[in-house]
Amino acid sequence: MARRGKWTALAAAAGALMLALTACSAGSGVNVNPSTVTSGGTGGGTLVAAIGGQPDQLDPAVTTSYNSFQVLENVYDTLVEPDQNLAMQPALAESWTTSDDQLTWTFKLRQGVKFHDGSDFTSADVVYSYDRIIDEKLSPSWRFSAVKSIKAPDDSTVVITVKSPSPNLLANLGGFKGLGIVKKSNVTSGDIKTKPIGTGPFSVEKFTAGDSIELEANPDYWGGAPKLDGVKFTFIPEPSTAMAALQSGEVQWTDSVPAQEVATLKNDNTITLGQVGSNDYWYLALNQAKSPWKDVRVRQAVAYAIDRDAITQATKYGNATVNQLAIPKTSQWYTEYAPFTFDEAKAKSLMAEAGVTSANMTFLATSDYPETVTVGQLLADALGKIGITVKIKTVDFATWLDEQGKGNFDLLMMGWLGNIDPDDFYYGQHHTDGSNNYQHYSNAEVDRLLDAGRTETDQAARKDLYAQAAKIIADECSYIYLYNPDVLQVWSTKLTGYEVRGDRAIRFRTASLAG
Amino acid sequence: MTLFLLKRLGHMAIVLIGVTLVVFALIQLVPGDPVRLAMGTRFDPDVYAALRAASGLDRPLVEQYFSYLGNALTGNLGVSFRSGDPVTLLLLARLPATLSLAIASLVVAGLISFPLGIHSALNRGKFSDVVVRVISQFGVSVPDFWMGIILILVFSTTLGWLPPSGYVAITENPWEWFRRVLLPAITVGTASGAIMTRYIRSSVLESLGSDHARTARSKGLPERIVMSRHILRNALVPVITVGGVQLAGLLGGVVVVEVVFAWPGLGRLVYDSVAARDYPVIQGAVLLIAVLFLFINLIVDIVYAKVDPRIALS
Amino acid sequence: MSAAQVTADTAAVTGSAPLWRRSLKALLASPVVWFCLVVLGTVLLCAVFGEQIAPQSANETDVSRAFTPPGPDAWMGTDDLGRDVFSRVVLSAAPTLQVSVTSVGIALVVGVTLGLLAGYYRGWVDVVVMRVVDVMFAFPVMLLAIAIVAVLGAGLTTAIIAIGVVYTPIFARVTRASVLSVREEPFIKAAKSLGARDSRIIFTHVLPNVSAPIIVQTSLSFAFAILSEAALSFLGLGVQPPDPSWGRMLFDAKSFLNQGWWLSVFPGAAIFITVLAFNLIGDALRDVLDPKTMTKERA
Repeated sequence: MARRGKWTALAAAAGALMLALTACSAGSGVNVNPSTVTSGGTGGGTLVAAIGGQPDQLDPAVTTSYNSFQVLENVYDTLVEPDQNLAMQPALAESWTTSDDQLTWTFKLRQGVKFHDGSDFTSADVVYSYDRIIDEKLSPSWRFSAVKSIKAPDDSTVVITVKSPSPNLLANLGGFKGLGIVKKSNVTSGDIKTKPIGTGPFSVEKFTAGDSIELEANPDYWGGAPKLDGVKFTFIPEPSTAMAALQSGEVQWTDSVPAQEVATLKNDNTITLGQVGSNDYWYLALNQAKSPWKDVRVRQAVAYAIDRDAITQATKYGNATVNQLAIPKTSQWYTEYAPFTFDEAKAKSLMAEAGVTSANMTFLATSDYPETVTVGQLLADALGKIGITVKIKTVDFATWLDEQGKGNFDLLMMGWLGNIDPDDFYYGQHHTDGSNNYQHYSNAEVDRLLDAGRTETDQAARKDLYAQAAKIIADECSYIYLYNPDVLQVWSTKLTGYEVRGDRAIRFRTASLAG
Repeated sequence: MTLFLLKRLGHMAIVLIGVTLVVFALIQLVPGDPVRLAMGTRFDPDVYAALRAASGLDRPLVEQYFSYLGNALTGNLGVSFRSGDPVTLLLLARLPATLSLAIASLVVAGLISFPLGIHSALNRGKFSDVVVRVISQFGVSVPDFWMGIILILVFSTTLGWLPPSGYVAITENPWEWFRRVLLPAITVGTASGAIMTRYIRSSVLESLGSDHARTARSKGLPERIVMSRHILRNALVPVITVGGVQLAGLLGGVVVVEVVFAWPGLGRLVYDSVAARDYPVIQGAVLLIAVLFLFINLIVDIVYAKVDPRIALS
Repeated sequence: MSAAQVTADTAAVTGSAPLWRRSLKALLASPVVWFCLVVLGTVLLCAVFGEQIAPQSANETDVSRAFTPPGPDAWMGTDDLGRDVFSRVVLSAAPTLQVSVTSVGIALVVGVTLGLLAGYYRGWVDVVVMRVVDVMFAFPVMLLAIAIVAVLGAGLTTAIIAIGVVYTPIFARVTRASVLSVREEPFIKAAKSLGARDSRIIFTHVLPNVSAPIIVQTSLSFAFAILSEAALSFLGLGVQPPDPSWGRMLFDAKSFLNQGWWLSVFPGAAIFITVLAFNLIGDALRDVLDPKTMTKERA
């Protein structure tokens, strides 16, 4: 439940930009063979994986729940998909080319791929899947905002034309299973909600409401039959319960890992701990439509008054990296910049400069993301020392979104997960017209830089545009960025061939279970 | 009898309409928008408008309520906002888990309360009576969620005897079902058992001192017969009531324990649906809980009359 | 109008005085009751003088001291933010008592009034009140409380309102049932025939004679109210952080079962002992006041 409804943000950009670098140059083509087919499907056992909640439904283009995508990652394929380094690799598309003007993308589809019901996969399925999202304005439709048309000249070719050069098209198409290729008859019958039919390594066999989803290996999977016989996803909302189930051997994999357990888990040789830096970022935002937060000096005072190390320690127990910008070091978009230090005296003098001696602040927190409540309590103590009285208002996520939308907050904390391309999150959050600019930030220079970044196809120039914008955003405290958390998962030592991924995609296609 | 039934069913209908009204009103008052929530943190005005229109939430309130009521009368409880499944299907899927936990808890409560309650009454004022009464007070004083966590810590994490959570249908694997229902049933049954112990004790005490029992004894009937035929039988009447009230309460009232043990019951369905602002599911689930509650009460009253012929159904 | 009837009337009221005295004497003879009084006295002391008793402020954080086990520096250890658990347990007494006393007070006043009106007047008043009570009874307690919190927003005041509303019907039912058995008594009839006003009859004749079950129910409701507040806080819906409350501390502690047993043991024990004390007192009161009284309980 805690993860409900976040995937749009989370997975939003999970995809790889490497692609933008390597594969997008005009006229270039990529043709990489899938990993060699392994013997599989028999005797690998059934993996029981505990996830934090029940998927609301399994239609990839409709659901926004992270729990759904944990399952769907193993059921659906996209045209391209991110590899371990988040570089886009061929999936249902075997190769692609772009026209010289960057406006036409031609994808060659893999031959002989079949859906779980045995029918053939063709270009018509791609066109149907994409057009459905665009025409019905389903939640991932923003990913097609630059797309003019999607055509299928023959059974194995898809041609996408875009309105303007779109350096992040592949990341949009492949970074997110919401753009998985669905089967029309499965959609029209309505079965897709509980028994989706895809082309992926596993097929959905049984959805028991409130309890579990059972997947069965797809022996005809184009990437080679999975070694596991199947995967059973069970829903365990309490992380402590999930850990107990793992330790008792009842489940063999879970991502409900309390960060405070990591130190202990590292020493437990009956389990494997998977830990990797993510592209998620958590931030504070001050409501600039309200006084005194509209004064940049007061915002900077807050930025100086907070101890990022203490915050990271208290929320993630060291399993995160402090960062004053959104993008982590592992990303190619990383810019090193850290203007603020923990400096109470500096914070006080900035407050004095702004002529503010005391202020009341409502901190909007949500119980669905407990880190917001923890940080609220730290800030209540820290900001009290520079004359700001903090009142924490904890609501459930539905109300939180409501209050955010209405601007009923002075300060809020939230995280965006799975971010890859800077346009996905900088534009919406910091452009004057951004649909997620709830803090009412407006800077003409930032707007200009973000507009230019959208269409700049030269990678180095594009990176420079976003670096400039990011520095202004940090300096003026449109957001006060806090940290990039690690992805944490644990599994039984019996499970092999599985790797934790920074984009939180959970892929069991190459995993196997011993004993 | 028929008249009684008709009258009671009439009352039930009024209460149920009241329940739908209250739920509908509460839903209107709860802040938060299911459509906005479904979109997650990323807001997109076009998507929002399309989803909002599809949900039917932009119709006038009165129209929404009466169309809901009309559909509900025909057994159509609408479609879940979250999953798109018919609400009736979702409820049916949760019913076995809820009923099996409620009944298992009642069994635990009975196993605790009958021996303790009867023993305590027969030894009124003695040391063991005091002990039983204090134990029963412990039972009602322990926060149930706390007890659930401790049980998991002891029996799953430390001893590894029982699975910490999850649900297996009894039809699928009775033994696994038993292993999983045990801890939640003990958690829930302890409080119920403690309450029932008190009722059984005072009820047995009352019937021990009744004219009825005295007459039976004076007739020279053996104590065993007096006990089983007269005292316990009479003592059973109020116990049925309490047991019924407990059972009815267990059907939707153990949310917190369901959360701790990841038990897919009706209470947790309501709790989750409130968080997801899944209005049709909230309405349907609360309605079902209320229907079950009222039916159990009706059955209790009928049984009550059967056991104790002095009570007329009127 | 005969003198005999009037005497019967006064006797029924004044006659209760020796019973009260006897009851009190019987109560204080019990060691269990003394235990309860000591516990509740301590809780009250903490609620009033919490600031003086607590060695630290409840909200003083120091992440570098997080998860210090119980010891001389911190009797009950420190939590995930390095706050002193003992101070937080002590300072939680005030909000806990505040929620339980106020919410039971609301339920008592509203519920008893409704029960008196319904039982005394019967007719349509009775029908309306009891149908409303029936509707409320058809909702499980926790779900109704959760719904009310969802509407009003989590917080101390909301918890008071939610718990108060949820426990109102039980008072109405208990009161009405007792009133029904009292209203046909001769002294009521006598008062009526003497032309006493309804309000006078209700408050001077009916209420004192139905007070025993209400007192018992009140004591038990304190226990339920504290448990309900703890359960609401355990779901994150009660007292809001950084302010401490026992339920909220358990809510936070459930993530740290392996880091610090003290985080869950002490607040849990505080709830348990306080609730136990109220329950034992309620039980003792029931025994003393009216051994036959059977109040319907909702757990």
